[in-house]
Amino acid sequence: MTRYLRLIRIFTGATVSAQLEYRANFIGAVLSSLGQVGVALLAIGVLFGQGSDTVGGWTFREALLVTGFFILTEGFIAVFVQPNMSRIAEAIRTGSMDFTLLKPLDAQFSVSTRYLNVLRVPDILIGLGLIVYAASALTVTLAGVLIAAVLYLSALTIVYCIWLALSTTAFWFVKTQNVAELFNGVFGAARFPVTAFPLPVRFALTFVVPVALITTVPAQAMTGRLSPALALASPLVALALFAVTRWFWLRAVASYTSASS
Amino acid sequence: MIRKTRVLFATRFAEMAEYRAEVIIWMLSGTISLVMMLVWMAQAAAAPGGQIGGYDGSQFATYFLSVWLVGQLLVVWVGWELDFMIRQGTLSPKLLRPLDPMWPEYAAHVAERFVRIGPMLVLLVIFAALSGASFTRDLWAYPVTLGLCILGFTCRFLYEYTLGLLAFWTESSTSFSEVAWLLYAALGGLFAPLAFYPQWVQNIAVWTPFPYMLGLPAQVLAGKATLSQAGSGALILFGWVIFFWFVRLLVWRLGLKKYGAVGA
Repeated sequence: MTRYLRLIRIFTGATVSAQLEYRANFIGAVLSSLGQVGVALLAIGVLFGQGSDTVGGWTFREALLVTGFFILTEGFIAVFVQPNMSRIAEAIRTGSMDFTLLKPLDAQFSVSTRYLNVLRVPDILIGLGLIVYAASALTVTLAGVLIAAVLYLSALTIVYCIWLALSTTAFWFVKTQNVAELFNGVFGAARFPVTAFPLPVRFALTFVVPVALITTVPAQAMTGRLSPALALASPLVALALFAVTRWFWLRAVASYTSASS
Repeated sequence: MIRKTRVLFATRFAEMAEYRAEVIIWMLSGTISLVMMLVWMAQAAAAPGGQIGGYDGSQFATYFLSVWLVGQLLVVWVGWELDFMIRQGTLSPKLLRPLDPMWPEYAAHVAERFVRIGPMLVLLVIFAALSGASFTRDLWAYPVTLGLCILGFTCRFLYEYTLGLLAFWTESSTSFSEVAWLLYAALGGLFAPLAFYPQWVQNIAVWTPFPYMLGLPAQVLAGKATLSQAGSGALILFGWVIFFWFVRLLVWRLGLKKYGAVGA
């Protein structure tokens, strides 16, 4: 365990110092972050600008909380998940996955933690800022915040598992570099509380692709409107997904035949 | 000239047909107008009288599905290609050809539309049936929409190309493309019909090409815009195309000098 923690520290140091070499990229990354935030705020701003006080039963501040979790999650994906997962398909195509598998270290750990995109850390900060701003006008209890934190951790696990499962398909269908875009397409719905959608869609977003668990449920926990069933469902789904993707990953690695053989 | 066009188009079409799985994945990832559609439909259903700003659920569905369709036809990724070509130097061999490197890229984008349109229309029919959208029954609207889309696409291609050429000077030209996308999405009407925005935003929007590229053809398809509105929109877009044509040419010439100086 300590060995893995030490490795995470080494990986982080290496990737951060590699990126600080290209400091001019920072301006571009800030532009991208502002663009992302702009889209999220515009979408919600226009929606509330038409005279209605609530969207799907959520007031503006409450919905802003969901948007905050959405931006935070996008930041988490951009910083921690996407830089690693996008390299899996590439490594399989070129055969450099061999080197990862040969190392005396769990391959899933090593493909998941090797890279970071520190340039997108502002997204995470903006997301956190938005959550604090939205919560400042709501009555939030300490217990609510703690439950929200736990539920958000399971949300991040769910996000990671979905990305890993999608990227792992590259072991069989080599040309799947942009398959994760499919997740982005569905995840776009997470910018709004799930109750803002028509009923059949709401059902799909909760049970088929658990987008609701990622942003709506932590926000509900903070405002104290969470039903105990959903509070239990989120960690359970996260655990189950983690186990399934782990199994899926092991199956995939077992069928790996390298690039030229 | 005609032979050149045919060869260019045929080769790029073959290439795009090879990447058909990717094309479909990219197509499915552009869902923001569909998300907005669902939210607005639910809002309209909950509102007193069943409508917001003169739109009921089915009209929202029609508008946003039209926006989705037009948006699919306006997809441009040339900025990323240019960023790659300029940074990796693969632009150099292309400069040796007696043809502006813009044309193969333009042909690739047009060819991709032909790969995209089949599955897109299938999805459109499914979505329309599910959401209760009903497109206009005026037959003139369809060729007019197509014409506006061609103009809008050309306009977008030219300004994205210009932004991509900034890669001659900066490492982060693709971020400019992302910001341009935000303007396009916001002022084009991807989140809501433009009439839903505050008046001052609308006043600014009419001075940009975006509402004519995305919102106008969508309104034509939805039967909410007249022929004369479409006509004046087309003229404005044509003006923008000419403007961006010359801006592109200028930036290209300046950039080439810079490229020669560094890459040699």
